[in-house]
Amino acid sequence: MKECNKTEKWPPEVKQTPSRFRRPLSKYKIIRNENCDNCGICVDVCPYGVHKFVGKKVQSPNEHYCIGFACQGTDHYCIDKCPQNALSLVQNPTMEALGDHRWPADLILGTWYQAEYGRPPAHLEYKIGDSGDGFDRLRFNFELDNQTPTSWEIDPEISTSIELNRRGDNRPQVTISVPWYGGGMSFGSISLTVMLARAKACAAWNTFTCTGEGGYPDELVPYKDYIITQIATGLFGVREETIKRARIVEFKYAQGAKPGLGGHLLGDKVTPAVARMRQSIPGMSLFSPFPFHSVYSVEDHKKHIDWVKEINPKALIAVKVSTPNDVDMVAIGSYYAGAHIIFLDGSYGGTGAAPDIAKKNIAMPIELAVPKVHRFLVEEGVRDKVVLMAGGGIRTAYDIAKIIALGADGVVTGTSELVALECTRCHNCESGKGCPRGIATTDPRLSAMVKLDWAAQRISNLFYSWYLQLIDILKRLGMKSVKELVGRTDCLVYIERYEKENEKK
Amino acid sequence: MKRSELIKKLVYARRKLVPSYPLARKLATEEEGGCGVVGFICNIPIGGKHIFYPSIQMHNRGNGKGGGIAAVGLSAETLGVSQEILDNDYLYQIALLDPGVQGQLESEFIEPFFNIDKAQRVETVGDYRDVGLEVRPPDVMQYFVRVKPGVLEEFISENHLEGIDPRRAEDEFVYQNSFKLNQKYYSSLGEKKAFVLSRGRNMCIFKIVGYAEQVVQYYQLENFKAHVWIAHQRYPTKGKVWHPAGAHPFAGLDEALVHNGDFANYFSVAQYLRQHNVFPLFLTDTEVAILLFDLLNRTYGYPLEYIIEAIAPTTELDFDFLPPEKQHIYRALHASHIHGSPDGPWFFIIARNEFYQKYYQLIGITDTAMLRPQVFALYDGGEVQVGLIASEKQAIDATLRSLSEEDKRFCPVADKYWNARGGSHTDGGTFIFTLKKGDAQRLVCTDKFGKEVRVPLNQRPWEVNIPEFQETSLLKQLKKQIEHSLPLDVFRQFVSEIPGLGYEEFYNICSGLAQMATEDDVTKEWVIEFLTLLNDRYYDTGEKKRSWLLWIVSENLKRILGGVVPIGSEEISRYKYIDWQNRKDLRPPRPGEEILVINAWDFPPEGDECDARLICEAYFKGWRRFIAYNYRGQRFCGCGLGPKTNGVRIDVYGSSGDYLGSGLDGLEVYVHGNAQDQVGQILNAGKIVIFGDVGQTFLYGAKGGEAYVLGNAAGRPLINAVGCPRVVINGTALDYLAESFMAGDPLKGGGFCILNGITFDERGRLKELPTPYPGSNLFSLASGGAIYVRDPHRKLVEEQLNGGVFTNLTEADWELILPYLEENERLFGIRVDELLTVDGEKRRPEDVYRKVKAVRLKVLAGQGIPE
Repeated sequence: MKECNKTEKWPPEVKQTPSRFRRPLSKYKIIRNENCDNCGICVDVCPYGVHKFVGKKVQSPNEHYCIGFACQGTDHYCIDKCPQNALSLVQNPTMEALGDHRWPADLILGTWYQAEYGRPPAHLEYKIGDSGDGFDRLRFNFELDNQTPTSWEIDPEISTSIELNRRGDNRPQVTISVPWYGGGMSFGSISLTVMLARAKACAAWNTFTCTGEGGYPDELVPYKDYIITQIATGLFGVREETIKRARIVEFKYAQGAKPGLGGHLLGDKVTPAVARMRQSIPGMSLFSPFPFHSVYSVEDHKKHIDWVKEINPKALIAVKVSTPNDVDMVAIGSYYAGAHIIFLDGSYGGTGAAPDIAKKNIAMPIELAVPKVHRFLVEEGVRDKVVLMAGGGIRTAYDIAKIIALGADGVVTGTSELVALECTRCHNCESGKGCPRGIATTDPRLSAMVKLDWAAQRISNLFYSWYLQLIDILKRLGMKSVKELVGRTDCLVYIERYEKENEKK
Repeated sequence: MKRSELIKKLVYARRKLVPSYPLARKLATEEEGGCGVVGFICNIPIGGKHIFYPSIQMHNRGNGKGGGIAAVGLSAETLGVSQEILDNDYLYQIALLDPGVQGQLESEFIEPFFNIDKAQRVETVGDYRDVGLEVRPPDVMQYFVRVKPGVLEEFISENHLEGIDPRRAEDEFVYQNSFKLNQKYYSSLGEKKAFVLSRGRNMCIFKIVGYAEQVVQYYQLENFKAHVWIAHQRYPTKGKVWHPAGAHPFAGLDEALVHNGDFANYFSVAQYLRQHNVFPLFLTDTEVAILLFDLLNRTYGYPLEYIIEAIAPTTELDFDFLPPEKQHIYRALHASHIHGSPDGPWFFIIARNEFYQKYYQLIGITDTAMLRPQVFALYDGGEVQVGLIASEKQAIDATLRSLSEEDKRFCPVADKYWNARGGSHTDGGTFIFTLKKGDAQRLVCTDKFGKEVRVPLNQRPWEVNIPEFQETSLLKQLKKQIEHSLPLDVFRQFVSEIPGLGYEEFYNICSGLAQMATEDDVTKEWVIEFLTLLNDRYYDTGEKKRSWLLWIVSENLKRILGGVVPIGSEEISRYKYIDWQNRKDLRPPRPGEEILVINAWDFPPEGDECDARLICEAYFKGWRRFIAYNYRGQRFCGCGLGPKTNGVRIDVYGSSGDYLGSGLDGLEVYVHGNAQDQVGQILNAGKIVIFGDVGQTFLYGAKGGEAYVLGNAAGRPLINAVGCPRVVINGTALDYLAESFMAGDPLKGGGFCILNGITFDERGRLKELPTPYPGSNLFSLASGGAIYVRDPHRKLVEEQLNGGVFTNLTEADWELILPYLEENERLFGIRVDELLTVDGEKRRPEDVYRKVKAVRLKVLAGQGIPE
C-alpha cells in the first residue's frame, strides 16, 4: 500500500497548475482607465501578482488573483495607491451568472484556486455553498468559536486511510489512503482524457476511480489497480476480462440524481468512438434499463453478486444505490447479499445530463440518508462489517468531514473533480456534442482542450487541499484517524438551532 | 339476495373492524424480495417429507429467517377427527408466541362463539435446537370448530345478512373473529403474543423462523398426509427476526398463498382494500395479496378466471387478441379493480380447498411482465398424477425425486415442464391444477381460460421393474457397430426401433451399453455420445413415456460418468473423475488425460467452494474438456474462465443453475437439458447450446458469440444486447425478445436472432407453434440488428413491433443465416429442408422467413451524427 511508503512521495506533490485559459474567470474586475501612465506602483504594492509589467507597460490585470475589497484599507490596495486614480474595482458581473446555489460562484472559484495551488484559498469560499440546507447549514462545533488560524501542515500522526473490506471473508484487504474515491463517469459522458486524468490522480493518492457504465477503455488498463469496474444495468462494455482485472467491482443499481431511471446518453454524444466502446449504433441514444433485468429482489441481488464473486474471487463488491425512503432496508439487504461496500448516492449529484425533473426531486438528501442507514446498521449489529460510502453532492473537504461525522466511512466524488478542471456548471453536459470546456464531451476537437498532465495535476492538487483540511479538522477535533470521526454527530451543529439559541442569549 | 347487495352488506359488516385500527399511513415494513416458492398437488395424499427436499433446494432463495408450509386436503385419521368434522369444521390454527395467553385467548375468542369438536396441541420435537433452529417456534393449537348456532343467528341479524347462505355467513364470522384475535394479540401490541396461522377447512399453515423444511421436522409432519403442499423460503432483510408471523404462507379463508417478489404499489393496494373495510395487520405485501384474493373470491364471488384478471390484467396487444365478449367483461373488471392490482414483480402460488364446489386446487399466477422466475410441471402416470409449480426447476426435480424414492409409480422426470406467459391472451399467465373430491380423483390442469394441459394419452407409465441383464440381439447388433460406425448414424437407425421396444428392453440396451463403456476410453466416448443423443433429441417413443426414457438414459449416463477413474488414481485414462469429496486432489492433467468429469451433486450452489470455481481452477491448471453432471441447481457453470478460452468445452447434464455461461468469452457450453435464468449474460465470444428450454433474460447484454436453443426462451431474451451475437431459438419466447437490441447491421457483421417457432409432437415430429411469437413486444426500441423469423403464414403483425419493421428476406440475408441453420441441423437434427417445408411443400426461403429490422426511431436518434 502506498501509505506504507510514506517516504516515497506521500502525499503526492503539489505543482502549481494555472488555468488553461489566458484570462480565467475572476471574482473581481479591475478597470484601468486611460489615465494610467505605467508608473508601476501597483506592480510594486500588489503581493498577489495581479499587476505585472510587460516590457515597459503594465499589462491588463490578472484579476483572478485579486482578493477584491478585502484588500481595502491595507497598505497594498492598488486602487488607493494609484497616483493617477486610474484603477477602479468592481465585482465581476459574470459572478451573478456563474454557478448555482449548491455551487455558488465563489465556491467554484475557490475550487479552481485549490486545483491551482493545492491549498484552500484565503479569500474565496471553499467549505460550503449557498443552498440553504444540507451541508450548508451544518457546522463543526469548532467553526463557531474564534478559530486559531491554520498553517495547513501535514501531520504524519494523523491517518486519513480507510479499509474497504470489513467482512472478514477470504477476499483481500484494500486500503485507500484518503477517505474518498472517484465515482463512475462513463466514457461517452466524459472524454477519455478526463477519465485518464482522474485515474492518474487517484493512483497517485492510492485511491480509486470508476469506469462508469460505458466500458473500460484500454488506455485505462495501466491504472487497473486503481480502477473500479462498474456493472450497470445496460451492461455496456462489461466483459469477464474487465471484471477480472478489477480489485473492486461496483454494481450500479441506481443513481441518486435520477433514481428510477437508468443511465442515458443522448444520440448526439454517441460518437463512433463511443459506439465502438459500447458496441452499439452511432448516433442512437443509449438508455440503460432500470433496473437490472435480472434483479428484481434481494435474493436476485445476492445471486448477481455471487456471480461476480465467482468470476473474480479476489474482487471486493461495491453496491451503488440511491436513497429512497427505505434506504436502510436496501443497505441491510445489500450487506446480506454479500457486498463489501454500500455506496449511497444522494440526490444532490449528477451532471447536467440527469433530467431536471429527476434531479433533486426524488431521492432523499444524502445528509438524511447516511445517519438513517448508519444507525440502522448499528442496531442490526453489522455496521462494523460493511463500508458505507456516501456520494451525490460532496463538494468540499468540509462536506467530506460532515458526512463522515454523520455516519459514512468515506465519500465518492464526482462533480468536484470536474470543477477542478474548470467546469463552470453550465449544465449543458448532454446537449449537442457536450461541454464547451471539453470535459463532458467525446467530440475529438472539444476533448483536445484538456491536456492529461494538466488535468491530473489539477485534480491531485484539489485532493491535496482536501487532505490538508481533513488533517486540520481532525486535529481540531482531537482525533488521530478519520475512522474516529465516523458517526460523531455530536461534533456537528445545525446552524439554525445555534443561531436561535444565540438569539435567546 | 342479489350479489351487488351482498357485496355491500359484507363490506358494511366489516365496518366495525375499523375503529381501533390505526389510520396513520402505514407502509410495508416487512421488507423482503424474491424468495423460493414451491407447491405440488397429487391425486393421492402424500407425506410432508416430500416438501423437505425441494425446500432444501431453495435454501439460497431464503436466508433461514422465515420458512413456512401449507397443506390442503388432509387426513382425518392423522388429525384424529372424523372425515365429517375434517370436511366441515374450520381448522383454527393458532400460534402462541407467549404460551401463557392460551387460556385467556380461548375464553375470549374461541369458547364463547364456537362449538369445539376437537382441540389439540401440535406435537413437536423436544428441543428446537435439535433440528438446527435458533429461535423457538411458536406452540401451535389446533381447534376444529363450528360457530354456535345462536351466535351465528345473532351475527346474521346484526349485519342484515338474512337470506345469505348461512354457511357463507359463518365463513364471514370466522374471518372477522380471527381478524379481531390478530388485532388483539398481535398487531395492537408492542409485544406480540399470538396470531392465527390459518382458519380454513381441511387445510393448515405452519411457519417458523428458520427454513421451510425445519417446519416439517419441528412439527413432525414427515408422515402427515395431504393432497396439496406449498412451501416458502423467505428472505427478510432485517437482521433480528424473533417470530414468524411475517413468514409465508398467508391465509385467506380456505386458501394459502406464497409469494415470490414484491409489489411496487403496496400502499395503493392496501388503500384499495381499506375502501372495502379490509385491513392488513402484518404489513407485508403477501398478506395484502391473499386479502385481495379473498375479497374477490368471497365478497365479490367472482369465478377464478375473473379473480385472476382483476389481479393480473390482460393488457396491450394481448387484450386486443381476446374475443369481444371477454374484452367486455375484462374491461369492466379493470374499471373496478385496477387500483387493487399488484404492480411490480410477483409470482403467487395458491393452495386452496374449494369447500362449496368440493375440489382442491393449486394455482400459479405470474405478473403481467413476468419478472419472477416460474416453472410448471405435470406428471400423469395414470394411477398417480402430480402437478408442480416452483420458482426453479430444480425444486420440481427434487420433489419428483423424493416422491419416486418412496413410490415407484412416480417418475423422477415430469412429462412436461413449461412457463406461463403473464397477462397474456394465450394462457393468462396462470395454470390451475384441480383435484375433484370423490371416488375417481383425477387431477386436471388448465390455464386461466380453462384450456387443458394434457400429456399424450396413449403413453403408459413404466411400472419400474429393472430387468435382469440380457444380451439381446438388438443390443449385440448395436455393440458391433460401435467400432466402425458413428454414434449419430447408429442413433438414426436405432430411433426407428424405439417405438417397438418395451421399457425393459430399452433399459436393457442402455445398461448393456453403459456396461460396455467401462471397457475402454474409445467405447466410453462412443456410448456417452450415443446416450447423449437419446437424451437430447426428440423421437417417437411409441407407447412409452418420454419422461421414463429420459430417466433411464440419464441413470445410465450417470453410471458411466460415476465409474470414471478418480483423479487421485494413478491409472491412466482419458477421463478423470472429481467430486466434492475428492476435490482437493485436483491437479494439472497428465499426458493422456483429457476430460475432467465433475460430479456436481454435493457442491454448494455458489461461493468460493462451488463447482464453477473448481472448473476455473482446473482450467487454470490446464484442463480443457469438462463433463459436469448431476447438477441440482448449482450456479455459474462456465463463468470465470476469462477471455480467450477458445477450445474449451463443457458438457452439462442435470438441472443446471442460473447464470450458466454468463460472461463466456471463447469457450463452448453444451447444456443437455433445460437451462435456467440469466444464461449467457454478457456473452462475448464462444458458444452456448441448450438442448431444451432456457429461462429469463437469456443473453442479456450479450456482445457476441453464438447460441442455439432447441426449445423456448422465457421472458426478455437478448435484451440490451449489442455487437454481434448470433442466436437460433427453435421454439419461441414469452415476450420482450431483443428489446433495446443494439447490434449492428447483420449483413455488415452485426448480430441477429433466428426464431423458428417450431416444436415437436408426441411422435417426435416437427410441428409449427400456433404462432412463432405470441408476445406483444418484439424488437421494441431496437436500434440495430435483426430478427429472422420463420413465419410462412404471416401470423406476426406490425402491432407486435415497436421499433422494427418487417422486410423481405434477401439473398444476402439467406446466405448469412444458412450456416447457422446448418449448425442448428447438426446440433439438433432439425433439417433446413424441413424448416423450408410448409404444409408438405418445400418453399423458397423468402416465402418462409421474414426479417425484422430496426428503424430509426425519433426517440433514439440524435441530431448531428450522420449515418
